[in-house]
Amino acid sequence: MARIELCNITKKFKKVTALDNINIDVKDKEFFVLFGPAGAGKTTILKTIAGIEFPDEGHVKIDGKIVNLVEPAKRNVSMVFENYALYPHISVFDNIASPMRSPLYKKDEETVKKEVYRVASMMKIDHLMERLPSQLSNGQRQRVALGRCLVREPNVFLMDEPIAHLDAKMRHFMRSELKEMQSSFNTTTIYVTHDYMEAMSLGDRIAIINEGKIEQIGSSDEVYYTPANEFVAKLLGEPEINIFPAELEMDGRGLKVRMLGQENLIDICDDVAKVLNKKGSGKLDVGIRGNDVKFSFEKIDDNYLKGTVYIVEPIGNKTVLTVSINKQLIRIIAPNDFRAEMDSSIYIKFNMDNAMFFNGEDKTFIIRHNQDHYLRR
Amino acid sequence: MNTKKLSLLTEIGRNAILALWAIFALFPLFWMVLITFKHDAEMYTTTFIFTPTLENYKAVLINTNYFKAFFDNIIVSGGAVLVSVLVGVPAAYALARYNFKKKEDLAFQILSFKFAPEILVILPLFMIYQKIRLFDTHIGLIWVYQLITMPLLIWVVRGYFEDINVEIEHAAQLDGYSWYHVFLKILLPLIKPGLVAAALLSFIFAWNSFTFPLLLSAFKVETVTVSVLKYLASDTVHYGQMAVAASVSALPEVILALIIQKHLVRGLSFGAVKG
Repeated sequence: MARIELCNITKKFKKVTALDNINIDVKDKEFFVLFGPAGAGKTTILKTIAGIEFPDEGHVKIDGKIVNLVEPAKRNVSMVFENYALYPHISVFDNIASPMRSPLYKKDEETVKKEVYRVASMMKIDHLMERLPSQLSNGQRQRVALGRCLVREPNVFLMDEPIAHLDAKMRHFMRSELKEMQSSFNTTTIYVTHDYMEAMSLGDRIAIINEGKIEQIGSSDEVYYTPANEFVAKLLGEPEINIFPAELEMDGRGLKVRMLGQENLIDICDDVAKVLNKKGSGKLDVGIRGNDVKFSFEKIDDNYLKGTVYIVEPIGNKTVLTVSINKQLIRIIAPNDFRAEMDSSIYIKFNMDNAMFFNGEDKTFIIRHNQDHYLRR
Repeated sequence: MNTKKLSLLTEIGRNAILALWAIFALFPLFWMVLITFKHDAEMYTTTFIFTPTLENYKAVLINTNYFKAFFDNIIVSGGAVLVSVLVGVPAAYALARYNFKKKEDLAFQILSFKFAPEILVILPLFMIYQKIRLFDTHIGLIWVYQLITMPLLIWVVRGYFEDINVEIEHAAQLDGYSWYHVFLKILLPLIKPGLVAAALLSFIFAWNSFTFPLLLSAFKVETVTVSVLKYLASDTVHYGQMAVAASVSALPEVILALIIQKHLVRGLSFGAVKG
């Protein structure tokens, strides 16, 4: 149980800047998720906390104490490595027991046995205890690695994509198991993932990392409904959010937007219009998620825009429909029984209540309708 | 039916070739053991029928100080391998794990010690050894044997260290083990097959070394390879006695290889990390 702070951490590998002035304050008992694309620096952050990598600048603090010069062994952190890092010459049992047999965290053999079997049954690997790591599948190895991490009571659990290589069913099971464990363990956890569903379901807070910089830190609602910029918006959600340029125009009744080169102007909500008015001119991007777009094969009213069906991808419980309007591709979530001919005409309507508005130049978030409501949740 | 016949034929052919090769490789050894039981007079006959005698064994093992040479050889070869292991394993670890300037140059330099023929460096070494009184000492030979044993050991063990994912070490450190514990409990078992094989080979090279002990030692320290020369008498060559000396001197290598055989298992390190 501990609070973990990273203050102005900068880390360079030769000329490549892996971490650029990272500031994170993970509260005690918090489940903190680091989320970002491959190569963003997520693993480097974990290793810096563990003491395996040394920051070029900045401080790592555990419970308020600067631990930059403390050896990894003495930081009392527990880590799952992405490539498992199991000890190949000893059995699964001995692998999981290893932390409890080390000079620093020694327990008597009876406790070791009890704890190892408790963790192993949770991971559903208690029938594999005598095997060597080489005799396991990748998913089993990953569960052994997770077991070796969870068998201790450290300051913090560091998990580097701990369930990424499990099969889908096991992954969902482990995800809920981890969530359940989090509430009973009362231990700080820092969790790296590139799966947005894992990030949103597990994290008390999520930090979105890109190219060694933090793009945003917030609860899953905050990062999903009010992303700091277009990058964050695109990273969260499946299918990817639709973002396209729009122009603001004044007509008799107030501020409106023109999108996708259409003739008629689209209404925007009053609270949004107020903020956009203040911002004045300049490029504007509109972001709308796939489930905020209605579609019809007939033109119901003026707000429906005409497009053509580009791709229809049925993916089980839903269908992702891609519509082309004026060369811009719009991804829409449709019911799973949706059928359409390629290149046939279709009309779509954006739900402007849920639209997000971004600055077209620096791609930062400006406003959405009912923003305070989302931030208060 | 046809394929069965074919596979039977290839099986027979393969075994015949292997048997031929085995005979070719083992016959000289067999012949050497055979002539240890022959009188000098029968030495040049090629028949397998003769009256066996233990005269040669008696002449070599009892009447000369063969065993002193034998134990000297054990001391210098064993000592050389021991020093190589103690110094070479940390060196191999450093070459595998750390990045420093001119790392590859240094590794190549170590390997290059084996390039030069021994006879090339022996003259200056002889002068130096005379001056610093290492001539005809155990330590002197152990030292010069490092040229033979160390490069091999460092290069083999380095490869084994490079095969071990560094995150295994990190994981062990996070489990609460100090670096020495990690080394002894995790790394050493993983490099064991390579270490054992390299040490055995080093021992064989050191044991069979001839040029260095011939020129860098005299009477106080004498190795088996050099002592075999004694049986080249001025009037005749005692092939039978030479064969005894050579056969007995091959025994430690054979015994060591048999003992160590079960440790020469490769493949333990597979499956440690995602692959």
